[in-house]
Amino acid sequence: MKPNRKQLKRRLILMLAIGLFVSVLLIARLAYVQFYLGGWLTDLAEDSWARDVPFEAERGEIRDRHGETLATNISAPSLLVVPSQVEDPAHAAVEISSILQKAEDEVYEKITEQQSIVRINPEGRKMTPELADALRSLDLEGLYIAEDNRRYYPNGAFLSHVLGFAGIDNQGLTGLEQYYDEELSGSPGSVSFYSDAKGQRMPGMAERYVEPEDGQHVNLSVDEQVQKIIERELDIAEATYSPDGAIGIAMDPNTGGILGMSSRPDFDPEHFQDVPPEIYNQNKPVWSQYEPGSTFKIMTLAAALEEEVVDLDEDRFHDPGHIEVAGQRLRCWKKGGHGDQTFMEVVQNSCNPGFVTLGERLGEDLLFDYIHEFGFGEQTGIDLQGEGTGILFDPENVGPLEQATTAFGQGVSVTPLQQVTAVAAAVNGGYLYEPFLAMEWVDPETEDIIERKEPVMKKQVISEDTSQEVRRALEHVVAKGTGKGAFVDGYRVGGKTGTAQKSSGGRYLKDNHIVSFIGVAPMDDPEIVVYIAIDNPKDTMQFGGVVAAPIVGNVIGDSLRAMEVEPREDQLEKELDWTDTEPVEIPDVVGLPLTELHHASYPLEIQTEGTGEYVVSQSPAPGSRVEQGSTIRLYLGDKSQADD
Amino acid sequence: MESNQMFKQVDRWLLLVTVLLVAIGVVMVYSASAAWAEYNFGDSTYFLKRQLLFATLGLVALTVMMNIPYQTWRPYLPLIMLICFILLIIVLIPGVGLQRGGARSWLGIGAFSVQPSEFMKLAMIGMVAHLLAVRREHMSYFGQGVFPLLLLIGTAFGLIMLQPDLGTGAVMVITAMAMIFIGGARILHFVWLGLLGVVAFALLVISAPYRLQRLTSFLDPWSDALGSGFQSIQSLYAIGPGGLVGLGFGDSRQKYYYLPEPQTDFIFAILAEEGGFITGAIVILLFSIFMWRGIRIALLIDDPFASFLAVGIVGLLLVQVMINIGVVIGMFPVTGITLPFLSYGGSSLTLMLLAVGLLLNISSQLRSV
Repeated sequence: MKPNRKQLKRRLILMLAIGLFVSVLLIARLAYVQFYLGGWLTDLAEDSWARDVPFEAERGEIRDRHGETLATNISAPSLLVVPSQVEDPAHAAVEISSILQKAEDEVYEKITEQQSIVRINPEGRKMTPELADALRSLDLEGLYIAEDNRRYYPNGAFLSHVLGFAGIDNQGLTGLEQYYDEELSGSPGSVSFYSDAKGQRMPGMAERYVEPEDGQHVNLSVDEQVQKIIERELDIAEATYSPDGAIGIAMDPNTGGILGMSSRPDFDPEHFQDVPPEIYNQNKPVWSQYEPGSTFKIMTLAAALEEEVVDLDEDRFHDPGHIEVAGQRLRCWKKGGHGDQTFMEVVQNSCNPGFVTLGERLGEDLLFDYIHEFGFGEQTGIDLQGEGTGILFDPENVGPLEQATTAFGQGVSVTPLQQVTAVAAAVNGGYLYEPFLAMEWVDPETEDIIERKEPVMKKQVISEDTSQEVRRALEHVVAKGTGKGAFVDGYRVGGKTGTAQKSSGGRYLKDNHIVSFIGVAPMDDPEIVVYIAIDNPKDTMQFGGVVAAPIVGNVIGDSLRAMEVEPREDQLEKELDWTDTEPVEIPDVVGLPLTELHHASYPLEIQTEGTGEYVVSQSPAPGSRVEQGSTIRLYLGDKSQADD
Repeated sequence: MESNQMFKQVDRWLLLVTVLLVAIGVVMVYSASAAWAEYNFGDSTYFLKRQLLFATLGLVALTVMMNIPYQTWRPYLPLIMLICFILLIIVLIPGVGLQRGGARSWLGIGAFSVQPSEFMKLAMIGMVAHLLAVRREHMSYFGQGVFPLLLLIGTAFGLIMLQPDLGTGAVMVITAMAMIFIGGARILHFVWLGLLGVVAFALLVISAPYRLQRLTSFLDPWSDALGSGFQSIQSLYAIGPGGLVGLGFGDSRQKYYYLPEPQTDFIFAILAEEGGFITGAIVILLFSIFMWRGIRIALLIDDPFASFLAVGIVGLLLVQVMINIGVVIGMFPVTGITLPFLSYGGSSLTLMLLAVGLLLNISSQLRSV
């Protein structure tokens, strides 16, 4: 018995030791959970109790280069209902349905759902502030009015393809809204209340507010004035020619910044559903690709000048109206040809055989090298989705015939933006830039500029001297050649026409052309490149020089005036043909007696205002050049006033 | 006069600790259950009132047992054992046994029902103590000593597992094994039994691998946050924010329907949430004091039967505390075991207090204190 008793004691003490050890273990673990894991567990627990009422961030504005608003937000609150907090759903359903104009039983069904938070779509989503106020004044438990906003485009269809639009959740769906969605959208905040597991407010706990972070504003390189001019001109063109479509681009050749970009048909971003998806999804200036036609000759010209295979003034070319290439006869657009001419005249006349010859002088490799160097065959890198690359001949399949047609812009396919970017490089001193839209990012709180886009110069394609010669040639085209329609007095416009036959299923369509013109001004120091293309204009000669050139002229003239670019003194004077009249220089008549004017015979209409014998002031100012038959206004007074 | 004298000689520490724990329990049952009681019965004091009733019944039982010499019950142990076996069989009969939460564990009518397995737990302790005392010389032999006991325990465990109620069954088996160990069984026997257990466990896992996953899921409850990990996570969400001093009495958040039935198995979570680490540690200390006093009684009493009985009662308490709090603070897989004295529940509270009464009576018969 004795040893047994001893063993019992030993084992009892062992049991006590184990028990105490377990107690220490439990207390240690309790401390670990409550102190070490406490903070982490508290965060998790609070998240599990919190029911978030979202507090939307305000989407960043899109503005033009001068800060004019192009896309903004207007307050549009949303209704949220916490079903478990609604005390009398039947009564609430009646009230809500009468305010939102929604069937009562649908509202009732919604606000009695087994959900922590429900929305009443679409009536209770992004409401007018008046509806929100009405709901707020009901003062019903379980109803929350969440601050929210709706995208608003103050100028309607203006710049719509570039801006794109945002959806119901303010998420960017197309255009810049999509491309820069992350930067523009910011991050949402919330107001949270703590709820028990059955959805009731937990007693004695305050609400938690997480502030939303608003999206950044973006200033585009787009100039609202230039864009308005383009939109206006495209509207007029649509009305005049009923075309299948139209495209307009304006670029700052010194940075690659887009000054304006538009196309037809267009759409209103707030009612994009009214048009077929292909209209709002296809931003034609960057998406569409087609045969450029003669505008492409600028590339051939620039390459030939850079490689010094031609002297525009000294070298001569005889155009019999066609040229033989690899047994094929390629015709000039002009029946009978242009006859004997300098190569400057070849450019002015847009003479196809002349350009084929330039292409032959360059050779296949050099010609295509330059085309690639100018950025064709790849995306330009503009900050928009859905850019096309264009289609060039596969190098392995290029024979003399392909080389010849490429030299005057047939058989290749390019995007409008590629052409504008390449021409900008040809005239700006030879520098190929990456085109862009977003210029500056602006802090929504402070309005400070956070980030400024530096122009990206990809490479120098041709020399400054060559570029200058290209500018001289293009100014000749407008002053003396096929581009006269684009002439703007005082702004030294240069440019090149383009007329491309549209093809379908590998065949050219009859009497169906995309007529285009690409213009640059002022030629001594280019500030703008403008491209206009009209797709299948009706009831007109389908020539770029006839249809597109005058539109480019209007856009350039008005834009440069809006951009406050000084008119130039010396310019290449326009060569007149029988439809043109010589411009009249306005004489200085201030101070002259009215009687003297009666004897003069200016080719102008004279209109007088005021009474008196002497001219006090005049409009337009002396030295201005106007068309014959324009009106000059004279303000009359007595001699003393005139002498002042 | 005589009973009064006995009362003076009972272990006052033990009595004090017990009453304190029961009082804390009643208060916490109220706080933890008020939201659910209001929601289910429209009366926030529903569980409080019943727990008060059980506590009163239990304290009466404690007083009675304390005043009747523990030896009185020893001759009736085989009979009590038999009745418990019969009840365990009856409870399995569909229509007679009441099913709650997937286990057919209750006998009785409506709200007032009892758990035969709770009775069996106590009866088994008494029976094992009796047999250990009678057959002390044989305990170093497996065949004559240990094996008959294992047979008895195994049979009861098997019946309880048919309900099934793994928690109660496990508590009974572990307690009984501890008693056998204290009663003089050889360490070697336990090594063999342990190996046998490992093999059995391995077979179970091989036959159904999900069992292992269920057992280990408590290590990372978030791996199955809505399934097996749900209760663990909700329990931790209560304890974590409690911190040092807690959120204050009545201010638990997890009791608002996040933690299922917070007044029973997870009462310690609400206690640590409202009362913080301080209250939690105090409760664990009180249990330690109980254990210390209980073992002390087992050490000092001459009668081996009383000694083993005391060990059994302390063991019962220790195992339940360890498992219950272990589950609540994420050290143990979730099993349905109540916290002695604190958890809401009629059978467990009254029977536990009855057992304390027995222990107190033993303490009153110590020769010298």
